[in-house]
Amino acid sequence: MVKNNVFYSLGSPRLAMVGMAALAIGAVLSYGNPDTVSIWVLILPLLFLAVNLLMAILTNPRIYKRHGLLLFHVGLLSIVILSAIGRLTHFEADVEMVRDTVFDSTEVLRAKAGIWHDGTLAEVQFQQGHYTVDYSPGLVRGKTKSYITVFDPSGVATQKIVGDDTPLVLEGYRFYTSFNKGFAPILTWQPADGGEPLTGAIPMPSYPLFEYKQDNQWAPPDSEQIDFWLRLDTGLTEDEAWTLDGRHAQGILVVKSGDQRVELRPGESTKLPGGVLVYEQLTTWLGYKIFYDPTLFWLFIASVLTVVGMTAHFWRKITLDIQDQVHYKQKKMRIQSAVPGSRERA
Amino acid sequence: MFVEVLWLWAGLAAYAIATYYAFRSVAQYRDAATGMTSEIVSHSGEKRVLFFMMAGVVLLTICMIVRWLRIDHGPFVDLFELLISQLWSLGLIYAVSYWRFPLLRPTAVIVLPMLWIPGLWVLTLEVSSIPNPPTYFNDWKWAHVGFGKFFLAFCLIGTGLAGVIFARMHPYFARSFQFMPTDKVLDNYAWRFMLLALVFESLMLIAGAVWAQDAWGRYWAWDALETSAFLNWLLLGAAIHARFTYNISVRTGAILIVLVFVFAFITYFGIPFYSGAAHKGVI
Ligand code: HEM
Repeated sequence: MVKNNVFYSLGSPRLAMVGMAALAIGAVLSYGNPDTVSIWVLILPLLFLAVNLLMAILTNPRIYKRHGLLLFHVGLLSIVILSAIGRLTHFEADVEMVRDTVFDSTEVLRAKAGIWHDGTLAEVQFQQGHYTVDYSPGLVRGKTKSYITVFDPSGVATQKIVGDDTPLVLEGYRFYTSFNKGFAPILTWQPADGGEPLTGAIPMPSYPLFEYKQDNQWAPPDSEQIDFWLRLDTGLTEDEAWTLDGRHAQGILVVKSGDQRVELRPGESTKLPGGVLVYEQLTTWLGYKIFYDPTLFWLFIASVLTVVGMTAHFWRKITLDIQDQVHYKQKKMRIQSAVPGSRERA
Repeated sequence: MFVEVLWLWAGLAAYAIATYYAFRSVAQYRDAATGMTSEIVSHSGEKRVLFFMMAGVVLLTICMIVRWLRIDHGPFVDLFELLISQLWSLGLIYAVSYWRFPLLRPTAVIVLPMLWIPGLWVLTLEVSSIPNPPTYFNDWKWAHVGFGKFFLAFCLIGTGLAGVIFARMHPYFARSFQFMPTDKVLDNYAWRFMLLALVFESLMLIAGAVWAQDAWGRYWAWDALETSAFLNWLLLGAAIHARFTYNISVRTGAILIVLVFVFAFITYFGIPFYSGAAHKGVI
């Protein structure tokens, strides 16, 4: 390849340094993922580096003739390309799963998807069971264990325990338990006009984070808003180790509607202006973070190959030059014997 | 007082004796080079340095085991244990390199005093302990931390050689390092260790990303530590490009090496404890 053509110049290592400096600035600006900084501060330097690197790989014999270095730079390029594809196809969302309910893809919150995302979240099927969270003294959160039932297409159920760094992986979607979790009273509303009764859960704020304000509201169809306050007994101890386990928790539901205020235990009900409210039972909910990126596996492979290439290239450079060592020892011996009064002289 | 502190002191004392012998041994070379001594330069000084460094490593190993048994998790969480763990691994990797590559030996007068930065720092800290965050039971932690230790140690060795190059700019110190090969050769050695450092830093970033994916559901999120580590990787990559593609001078090269090391040191010990949230569990 001619050394002074435009492709060669585009692949110059000098431009690579410029690109790296620009990427470094982009990285500094992206620190903490601020909303005010455009993603382009990373994309532009990466595009620039990708073109530069591609040209260098194609035109520079100092890369393409050395196989290790070639693998390394091709690996770098693949990482850039794969992470770009990853951003375009990714999906992220949160979901709050009430115990004993099954996952419903239409109920995810704060969903963000790349424009090429075409996963099959709707086919994900699992049922949430109970969960436990261990706390060390001082309310320092430890391990979370969430009990899940997964159904395969033929309907066969399998039990799984997930939590923290062990996600539930279904259809390529990774479900990570989050620190967001709490209680939910299950209520039934029987309208006074004889309409269909409604049953559902009223999720209370995250626990124990918002232990002091376990409240929520709900307005039954065509009726006044009802305020709920949950008085919990979970055995929480600040100074000792404690395990949060919804199965052992009790909660009294304080119901306020207009001037009426009643306290209900599970199984009890109260008559309100528009109907009858039954407090069926206390249950729990657990938050998950959903993450999907089809490039994850390939990114990993590309990174490993990159390091393999780099290591292969460095191998020869690193095997320390015997010549240097010999030279060092000889010189030392020469000086030793040149010292006046040394034994050799005497 | 906790028993591990006694072992820490013992380990640091051994490092202190190693430092003393390192200076003695280099002083001996200087005297020999200037004809001020009539004694034959012996290797016994270097053997003592090696012995006390290894003794320090063994004592720090005991310190870490004692603490591990007491608090029931390894040295991964608070600054006190991270500093001890680095003192241990930097000492170990440097001691092995010192033994295998005689050329490196005079760098002990630069490397060992640098170990005193974490060494003195750890003495100022209150001994407490934080429980293991829930995501620290992950096996990738071992790979991530292990690779990181090699990365920092190789940067340290490169910096030791760069330090000799700087020291030789002054005639007084130049005599102490007369036995060493020319700056050009030292520069070659130093950059080989920096190449190794790049390999291990890359591995560290990969293992870290896999861990982050498992732990937080994302492999990269530009948190303080990730941003700093990535900048460090870019800086090292750019420095290697500068060194191997352009004819930068040996001294410029030495400055770059020191910059990479300082950056790495800040990434390790500054960033995670400066920014509250980085790489720590959320309640
Ligand atoms: C993105 C654009 C890049 C281009 C155009 C590029 C180009 C080159 C070229 C032409 C060489 C051969 C130089 C020579 O032997 O004289 C080289 C070597 C090398 N590059 Fe890159 N590179 C790029 C990115 C990177 C990055 C991001 C890193 C790592 C952080 C990196 C690390 C290295 C290393 C370690 C060598 C080997 C140096 C040696 O052993 O001679 N490169 N690169």
